[in-house]
Amino acid sequence: MRKKLLEHISSIILVSAIFLVLIYHFHSGYRQVQTRQDARIAPYLALDFIDYDDPLHKALLKESLNIFQPGQEPAHEALIRAIEAYRAAQIAALTRQQRNLQGLSFSKLGQLSGMYVNFILVYLIVMLLTYYGVQTLAVLRFIRLQQNRESYLAELASFLQRRFRDQPKTLHLRDLRRAAALLGKALLKGLLYLVLFSPAYVIAYSFKTRFDTDSIFFMVLLGVISNGLLITYAQKFFTFLVAESRKGYVQTAIVKNLENRYNLNAAGGVSLGRVLNFRKRFPGHVFQHIFINARYQYLATIKEQASFLITGLVIIEMALNIQGHLCYELMQNILYRQYDIVLTIILGIFLVVKGTELASDYWQYLEARRYDNEGMG
Amino acid sequence: MPLLAQLQTIYQRKDQLWLLIWLGGTLLLWGWNRLFLNAPALARVETGFANTFIIALLVILLSAALGWLSGVGLYFLEKAGNSLPYLTLSFLLNIIRSIPQIVGILLGYILITVQIQSGALQRPGAVIPVIAMVISLFVFLEISDLVRERIAYYRKRDFYNAMQVCGIPEWQIVNREILWRNSLAHLFNKLISIFGVTIFLLCSIDFIISVGLSGNVSSVNLPATLGSLLAKIDSKQDILAIGHVLTHPGYLPRLFFEHLQGITVAFLIVFTLLCIYKIANGFARRHEL
Repeated sequence: MRKKLLEHISSIILVSAIFLVLIYHFHSGYRQVQTRQDARIAPYLALDFIDYDDPLHKALLKESLNIFQPGQEPAHEALIRAIEAYRAAQIAALTRQQRNLQGLSFSKLGQLSGMYVNFILVYLIVMLLTYYGVQTLAVLRFIRLQQNRESYLAELASFLQRRFRDQPKTLHLRDLRRAAALLGKALLKGLLYLVLFSPAYVIAYSFKTRFDTDSIFFMVLLGVISNGLLITYAQKFFTFLVAESRKGYVQTAIVKNLENRYNLNAAGGVSLGRVLNFRKRFPGHVFQHIFINARYQYLATIKEQASFLITGLVIIEMALNIQGHLCYELMQNILYRQYDIVLTIILGIFLVVKGTELASDYWQYLEARRYDNEGMG
Repeated sequence: MPLLAQLQTIYQRKDQLWLLIWLGGTLLLWGWNRLFLNAPALARVETGFANTFIIALLVILLSAALGWLSGVGLYFLEKAGNSLPYLTLSFLLNIIRSIPQIVGILLGYILITVQIQSGALQRPGAVIPVIAMVISLFVFLEISDLVRERIAYYRKRDFYNAMQVCGIPEWQIVNREILWRNSLAHLFNKLISIFGVTIFLLCSIDFIISVGLSGNVSSVNLPATLGSLLAKIDSKQDILAIGHVLTHPGYLPRLFFEHLQGITVAFLIVFTLLCIYKIANGFARRHEL
């Protein structure tokens, strides 16, 4: 653990130092930077009859140059690009001036701190909810597997096959109802899968006219259900559960009469209440040991999950243009080329990831101390 | 009867089943669009789809190369006891790991934009490999970790020492026996997942850039992808129409005729991500990974 701690702290110090130097460099550069005009493009900018915002005018200028100075097409291409770059820089400088954007200041830092706290809060809530959701979904799926349940469509197919083999000439309303219910469940599951795999912006734009998509609640909801986060890590946890359930100690425990039935809420089975509980415990059941060992392995993937979650939150804030949020601010400052603020925000996000990595490693270390003698180093 | 048996085999091999579902679904969608979507929009969707897949394919090639090299390199550096290069490389990889992928790729895109504007990246065909390189820089670590995990796993087996005693060079044991002969299925499965992650990241970054940074990159010709197509105003309006269906269910059929561009692009992204997830799971189950 000491080695890991040292590694994390040294990378935090080194990266922070690099970022601080860069922030200082960009910040002190504001007063010096002026939009320099290339001597090569000056005569063309003086032509007031050319509107450089109009693509047609730019194309005409390029074609005219190609006709009057043949064989220099790449140079003309470069010239047009230089004009565009100069104008973009000029607009950025003007915008900075108009909006009084002078880079990082104490008031800006205060503003960013508020957004940062908000970002961390949303992140923690989503992390907690996904931590719970991942385990609950995986456990429910594992129980379904142990009950030898097929997919709804396969269940429908075998039901119809059985039904027409046993009573080929009669059709009851209850059979139709059962078939429709299975089909409905299959469709609902398919729809749910599509939602869980949708990038946040697809879901948000689908419902933008119906709900207030800028609220924190909606952000948290999107963070949990979208971008494939929940389903991907639930699958990982499910894989750990399946792998654990095949190990020898489980068979030994079953032979030694530990409870092994997976009927929900039945005597000797698994209680649904315990499955839905935040702290999942299944005393007296073999699943308790499967779950603990799977959860221990899952802890190692939390760092990865956290990083993916932050990617998701950044996408949500940026793609939905949620004003007053950290990543929206990041995007705006990229747009206005205020790179000192951009770097400050990125440093903040880096520190969140590093903090999560530290916490996750420590948690894993504590768990290792309880269960695994080899993992204590 | 052989056909039925074949179908049953495919049904049991979930990865192949989902690959067929993806191909079938995409072809069906293309056929529908041929009938009902206007030709320029269809051409845009086809280009976006092709670019997205070309970039994703390039990313998995580059990630495989980078992951293999860094994984094997780290192993040999650690074993050689050459602590400074080993510490430096693992430190650098850990820093990349701590930067959320989307932020890293966004910074990479800004550099690409600057390069295009300065004329260093002139040919449109050259932009695609550079984008692939930027994305692979932030996703290859999964391969690197897997390579190291596989080496560590086989390192404890008897055959490793036995082969060394027989005089087989260690690089050959690691590269050929462990990785090529005994870990290809694991690596392939990871590459399928990376393919999905790449499509997700690429579409998201292009969407973000097209929506939020359009002023900065409008003069730059970045290749059209599904993400940038989705960010176009007509596509966004098509997606907004889905919300309208919640209160006006009668509007649903019109989505498939009047809002086809946006619906097609969104569906392609979501359907592809879902199918890749299912393919990766099916593959892992079939090979018992």
